[in-house]
Amino acid sequence: MAGVAGGNDFQWCFSQVKGAIDEDVAEADIISTVEFNYSGDLLATGDKGGRVVIFQHEQESKNRPHLRGEYNVYSTFQSHEPEFDYLKSLEIEEKINKIRWLPQQNAAHFLLSTNDKTIKLWKISERDKRAEGYNLKDEDGRLRDPFRITSLRVPVLMPMDLMVEASPRRIFANAHTYHINSISVNSDHETYLSADDLRINLWHLEITDRSFNIVDIKPANMEELTEVITAAECHPHQCNVFVYSSSKGTIRLCDMRAAALCDRHSKFFEEPEDPSSRSFFSEIISSISDVKFSHSGRYMMTRDYLSVKVWDLNMENRPVETYQVHEYLRSKLCSLYENDCIFDKFECCWNGSDSAIMSGSYNNFFRMFDRNTRRDITLEASRESSKPRATLKPRKVSTGGKRKKDEISVDSLDFNKKILHTAWHPKDNVIAVAATNNLYIFQDKIN
Amino acid sequence: MILKGQKRKLDLEDGEASDRSSPTWESQRQFVFSVSLNKYQRGQELPEPSLRRSVLIANTLRQIALEKHGESPPPPDSALMSGEPATPPTNRGQSEDEDWGSAESDFSLSAAISSILTALDSTIDGGPQAAPRTPLRSVENLESAGDAAKPGYVNDVSMEDLFQEVDASLLGRVGYPAEEELICYLPPFSSASSNFREAFELEHLMEILVES
Repeated sequence: MAGVAGGNDFQWCFSQVKGAIDEDVAEADIISTVEFNYSGDLLATGDKGGRVVIFQHEQESKNRPHLRGEYNVYSTFQSHEPEFDYLKSLEIEEKINKIRWLPQQNAAHFLLSTNDKTIKLWKISERDKRAEGYNLKDEDGRLRDPFRITSLRVPVLMPMDLMVEASPRRIFANAHTYHINSISVNSDHETYLSADDLRINLWHLEITDRSFNIVDIKPANMEELTEVITAAECHPHQCNVFVYSSSKGTIRLCDMRAAALCDRHSKFFEEPEDPSSRSFFSEIISSISDVKFSHSGRYMMTRDYLSVKVWDLNMENRPVETYQVHEYLRSKLCSLYENDCIFDKFECCWNGSDSAIMSGSYNNFFRMFDRNTRRDITLEASRESSKPRATLKPRKVSTGGKRKKDEISVDSLDFNKKILHTAWHPKDNVIAVAATNNLYIFQDKIN
Repeated sequence: MILKGQKRKLDLEDGEASDRSSPTWESQRQFVFSVSLNKYQRGQELPEPSLRRSVLIANTLRQIALEKHGESPPPPDSALMSGEPATPPTNRGQSEDEDWGSAESDFSLSAAISSILTALDSTIDGGPQAAPRTPLRSVENLESAGDAAKPGYVNDVSMEDLFQEVDASLLGRVGYPAEEELICYLPPFSSASSNFREAFELEHLMEILVES
């Protein structure tokens, strides 16, 4: 898709769906984060129960070369357990807030997973050989009687069924008073940042007993608190640059070379408010729920409640592009405030070439925007449209009085079916969409 | 949408007017105000209140409180000191007593929000904070205004004093509380406990109000 000018519309088809089918969704199974690794071969999901499931892309089969391979379960492990903070009498949720992969440096894979308080570095490695012929123990592991050992032999490595093991290599704990909302691996591949509501810390991957606090927006007097940090990310190429977004709809870009404490930003991005659309909920809907740099590092994208905005890092006073995700909800903000939906945090993502962006909505709808053609499409992640290789039908929400056939009215939308987490393969047109407890994988027909 | 009393909400939203003096705007503001207060309280009752959510709701409450004064800050201390009722510039059409009550309740509201956030901080950070009672500053201003009408506003406000303020007609009333009733929601300043749950006995207050 990269470099193709216009014309080539995506044709998304269903590929796979993972997860239970029953209507009764267990809370623990709700997917809370989705992330492809750098090559796209691995796809990780985290859920509310603290588990991580990693899917691996299988190679295309020889007899059906036109089909892309499928993603199958590679490893499952319990990353975080529920904890109890005795000092504050608070339970710490085991829900995985974010997973971020490290670039691969050897045969093993590494990822960072975090809940509200603790970040863990996991090593996922394969084992396909086993040593046989030990001297001191026999085949089932029982210790041999030393007096019976009369000769020595060298154990031999024998092939075995592939086993994928996940082991925690580092635990980065006790550095966050507030709830962690973001982690981001730095381009130096040695450090990473973690952000909570009021502070951002910089860690070295090897050092767990201390971290550097680089942003602290906690006021001396908590009465004066009116703004919290909502997301943070490291620049993809400049290891000294990172951004963080706030609940007031602002983004601050900081340069770690400027000062040890980056409370003073280098750049401040904010779009002036449109006075004609001001309401009681203006601030709440301006709260940014996700910020993502483009792969090129030249742009960044922010998601607020109703829209996605693309910013040029060289222009602070307004975004260069704004895409409406579900503008029809603007007249329903009062109800959405009452039922708490207005606080939902949607994520957004770029495709590999930065030519398209995607973000989720309600009713299991998700939206894609082509930045070049300015065309957009609404698709649905549902079991009904889940026939193998079936092309997804574009969906439409009717806003006016007259509802056309196949359109759905705003009042019929199911606000319990939210697509908060989506991910786009770093190279190919494959997307992963988390719909509550199910993970949908869609592919573009045109290879 | 899964909502209660859907018809009423739709009426409000269809009539969402930019005209701030219209009754629709006023009733919507009232609605948002009470919903916000309920949300805030329920949020605090959760074992883990979300700071982002609390801050957003508190900001919404503040914004509404400010709008009541026509987007100007609350009346300066001098007005209160002289004991004259505050006269907000917006067209209110209420009695002087109620105006006074509202100005006071906005101060009380700010103080309540501030102390809620401070108490929240002490819950999260663990342990007593250095100056948990700075909201008293606002209350002291009210006190120095020589407010004979509301004798309860002294430093050592006790539960009994608070209840003397409660108008019997408010008890057991169903519906959205008016701003004046918010005076009841002030946390008892006499308690210097750093334990959020002890200091903030709103639930207890609400229970008593509703049970009566």
